[in-house]
Amino acid sequence: MTEAATHTWEGPTMQVALKIWRVTGDGERALETYEVEAPEWACLLDVLDIIKDRQDGSLAYRKSCRMMICGSCGMRMDGRAVLACKERMKPIVDAGHVPVISAMGNLPIVKDLVVSMDPFWSKIRAVKPWLDPGYDEADERERVRSQQEMNVIAKESLCIMCGCCVSECNSMESDTEFLGPAALAKGMRFVGDPRDQADVERLNDLNGEHGIWDCTRCYMCNERCPKGVDPRDAIAKLGAESIKQGIDHDMGAKHAKWFVTSAKTTGWLRETDLVPKTQGIIGALKETKFALKLARRGKVPPPGPIHVAAEVDEARALYDLVKQQGRDGALGIVQGEKALQRLEFEHTVHKKDQPEGQQ
Amino acid sequence: MKVAYYKGCLASLSAKELDSSTQALAPKLGIELDELDAVTCCGAGDIHEAEPDYYLHLNARILAYAEQTGAETLMTICNVCTLNLRQADFQLKKDDELRARVNTNLETVGVPQYNGTIEVKHLLWLIADGDGYEQLKQVAHKGLKGLKVAPFYGCQILRPSKLLGFEDPDRPWSLEAIIQACGGDPVDYPAKIKCCGFPIIQAREETALGELVQPLEQAIEAGADVMVTPCPLCHLSLDAWQSKLNADRKKRGRAELPPMPILHLSQLIGVAAGLSDSELKFKRHVVPVTPVIEKLQV
Repeated sequence: MTEAATHTWEGPTMQVALKIWRVTGDGERALETYEVEAPEWACLLDVLDIIKDRQDGSLAYRKSCRMMICGSCGMRMDGRAVLACKERMKPIVDAGHVPVISAMGNLPIVKDLVVSMDPFWSKIRAVKPWLDPGYDEADERERVRSQQEMNVIAKESLCIMCGCCVSECNSMESDTEFLGPAALAKGMRFVGDPRDQADVERLNDLNGEHGIWDCTRCYMCNERCPKGVDPRDAIAKLGAESIKQGIDHDMGAKHAKWFVTSAKTTGWLRETDLVPKTQGIIGALKETKFALKLARRGKVPPPGPIHVAAEVDEARALYDLVKQQGRDGALGIVQGEKALQRLEFEHTVHKKDQPEGQQ
Repeated sequence: MKVAYYKGCLASLSAKELDSSTQALAPKLGIELDELDAVTCCGAGDIHEAEPDYYLHLNARILAYAEQTGAETLMTICNVCTLNLRQADFQLKKDDELRARVNTNLETVGVPQYNGTIEVKHLLWLIADGDGYEQLKQVAHKGLKGLKVAPFYGCQILRPSKLLGFEDPDRPWSLEAIIQACGGDPVDYPAKIKCCGFPIIQAREETALGELVQPLEQAIEAGADVMVTPCPLCHLSLDAWQSKLNADRKKRGRAELPPMPILHLSQLIGVAAGLSDSELKFKRHVVPVTPVIEKLQV
């Protein structure tokens, strides 16, 4: 029995109500309401423990560390994937809200709040989540790596594999085979590791049909990740590394490269050429009927004098200049992370400064 | 209020109706547009992914020219431009070393330096509350007569919230407030905050259509007469790819969806504000808007 589930607590208590989607092994669903007394410090996981110990022992959910590091207690609160051990209940109770708790999305439900993590782990395994140092036996020399080199994967290394990012991944809802944010962030954790020597092989694997370029940039993963991994940014780093290495056969990579060409030649996107440049001439011909339909509505700018931005020479000169400065690939994204972490820190401090219930 | 106006690629090209309706509407809302002309594409997510260092410099250049106008706000009319510019802006403002390097590069090619005085805001945010909202209520006097409008936010005006931060990314309210101010009746549906599939519609059409169908199906089921979006990319996906989605459904033996007209934010307000046909340019839409207009004229 956990501390939260014992009968007496020191300090003030509160009445907490939850609605929980109960699901049987046969897939039958029912929304049950529970109300229990809990200490004011209780998190969602504590409340579930109290319900299980005092009201309904059949309630199923996963847990282990209770301190945001094991990644076991991922579930949805009001449709958002959260770690149950991270969500304080007092502000929710103070707001008079009764949250709905359900299992994570994009993974099959086993019972109640427990999902099968099998598809999750098979995708993690698919990205070969182990270091390939390029030698079998280490020599006796110490191989020192600088902090700067390791900073490339600082965020990706924070992943606790809870599945919160996968739960609301919009691409995975449509393509269940998409490797997804957790596995791709894990892929970047090894591609970006200066000790790993298999980055080209890894990038080729990750450029498959259900890999990097299947990401729709919905940013749900960044929004949900409870550890600050920002998987979408990791996927962008993989795209940048792929293009840096010349691994650009995928239509997604070709699409991205056409934007670069457009910016440095005419400034604005050369929309009419985007389809042939992405899909190739044959692919574009197959789209002729659709393109004509759009052209009738003025959606496809006619070929002819290209719309050129004023002073576009500056954009071209900037391209030539930055290409000489060696911040290609993932480094171009990593260089902005310090500033974004400052922003995140300010947000956290701002939240803490607000009275409870108004966050 | 004077703003530097960055219209982005689509409003310059395939979504000219967004630019014309915005240009016509802004003065009525008390927004004076100072249009930036010596600027480029923000790179969408694409340059950020292909050449991230170039992405940062291109956006710094846009911010620098916005600063030159003397305005405090750079107004966008596209979700993707909003995220790209805000991300670059924060990276430059919160890292002096990075800003110094970028400014040196800008100077080398003859671009003014960026001093970090600009705030990037979408039109939606300028009119969803405060003085902008009061002005909107005055302007939208013709009203939408209880028209059922499905708000579609799209992704990059909500997430990542640490970069956007105008409203709760899971419970946004701004489009609903605007619809109400225009005399419309907002309908609610879960997929209003999800992806339209546009970023991968060329490289992964099947996956994208699987995303696109959700908001359309749910808005139809919720009884919407029309959908409205603050993003021209979402608009292109919802409007132009609707026929492809239906062709795909037909091929799979599924019922086609009834046509759903899609409006840009400036057009929806424009209808309520009585803008002319030549400003609204509904003829440029793939799904006809006529049924909505007829409903309003009854």
